[in-house]
Amino acid sequence: MIRLKDTIFGYSGRAIVRAGEISLAAGQCLGVFGPNGAGKTTLAAGMIGLIKPLAGQVIRSSELRIGYLPQHRALERHWPMSALDAAAIAATARRRLGWMGDARPSIQAAMTELGVLEFHARTFVSLSGGQQQRVLLAGVLASNPNVLVLDEPTDGLDSASREKLLVVLRARMQAGLAVVLISHNVADLLELADLIAHVAPGATPAEASTVNLIEPGRFMRHVTAMRGRE
Amino acid sequence: MTSLAEYAEIAVLLAPSLATAAAFGIGAGIVGVFVLLRREAMVALTLPQVVAIGAAIGLRFNSPTLWPAIASTATAIILLSWARGRNAGPWLLPSLYVAGISFSFLIIAGAGAHVSELQNVFTGIDVAVTPDAALLAIPVVIIAGLFTAMLWRRWLLIAQAPLVARLAGLAPAGWDTLFLILAATVLMVGTHALGAVIVLALLFLPAATVLPWCRRIPPALVTAPLMAMVYLATGFVLSIEMNWPLSQSVGAAGFGIMIVSNIFAALRR
Repeated sequence: MIRLKDTIFGYSGRAIVRAGEISLAAGQCLGVFGPNGAGKTTLAAGMIGLIKPLAGQVIRSSELRIGYLPQHRALERHWPMSALDAAAIAATARRRLGWMGDARPSIQAAMTELGVLEFHARTFVSLSGGQQQRVLLAGVLASNPNVLVLDEPTDGLDSASREKLLVVLRARMQAGLAVVLISHNVADLLELADLIAHVAPGATPAEASTVNLIEPGRFMRHVTAMRGRE
Repeated sequence: MTSLAEYAEIAVLLAPSLATAAAFGIGAGIVGVFVLLRREAMVALTLPQVVAIGAAIGLRFNSPTLWPAIASTATAIILLSWARGRNAGPWLLPSLYVAGISFSFLIIAGAGAHVSELQNVFTGIDVAVTPDAALLAIPVVIIAGLFTAMLWRRWLLIAQAPLVARLAGLAPAGWDTLFLILAATVLMVGTHALGAVIVLALLFLPAATVLPWCRRIPPALVTAPLMAMVYLATGFVLSIEMNWPLSQSVGAAGFGIMIVSNIFAALRR
């Protein structure tokens, strides 16, 4: 669905991250791991077409429907909104004037799948972090994406909420959903990722980060060795 | 105590002004909800000063003030959109504010009669709208307000998830500019017709009164214009009973109600 060939991504002509050959097929999960500021989000943004490569090639299949799950903590909490309104943010993005129209049943079905329909009338801020994240994921899934980008999806969640989220994601992946999972959480990456892109910072701040692809089986050893060096 | 018949007589006399203020209450009540939620209060404070520059140019050359006011507002929006694209918005806005209050008076320096007319734009002590001006202002502010309300899910999307918007093919910067244009239209028409004080009172205070009580945006969009009507009616009564200027009476009534509303909302939590 998405293939990178010797790409460099960056902003204003400045290279942030270099990636060699990376491909993402239907039903696969690419984990993206690395320290803050290394360029994980830049890599994901480049993969889904939010930024153009400075060099190399990005090949995307023509029928991509990309969903993006924002972090629940990143939302502006002073906006008054119900859980249904929050779920509708992603689901109504492609609709004319942003109106909900006939999107409501698909949003409600996704909220049911994630076990949050009972909260639909409650204010978003009154929900727990796990409930908020599941509400947002329901909205993204309701827009029926075939590629989903998740940015630290389990950050701040309790173990039960995390497990519910992962169960739904696994089920959707089995149905063909491709996932780009940006995470610091090694356990999440090991549970979901088929391949992990470790974004390693350059030797100096001016140098672009590089991407090393690691099989999940070798990832734990890689992380242990990396932390030992730190 | 003024009798009801006297109130009716005054209301008929001030009908164009009151109708314009009521229409503005609807438009600004709605726009004000998003001005506060989007943290655009500095834009709202600055634009009336920019309108005053245009009005001063019109006064200086003894020509109508509306077109120069439109031109100065449009220039400010273009400048602001450009500056925001370069992350320069935070210091451009206060600079424009200072430019507005300085240049508007420098342009008419020495022209005594015009100085008092311009002071009226700022203070709105003498709210007197002609029927022609009312016919122009009323539909514009109502349409701008209703259009802003129709797009409430878009404003929510752009504020909460700009990346999702970009993935959907929307340009958040373009939508930000559209919001600026809608807010500027309401503010420009309102300031030109009614003066800055009543404009800012009906823009900020109804939204600040109802937002602590609203669990969703649509109820805020209905109740804020209703609250603006309450302020206007209360301010009108105060202005007659106390012999106070209308704009400041509306502002004072609105501020009092807003404080009480926020105290009760805080106690309820």
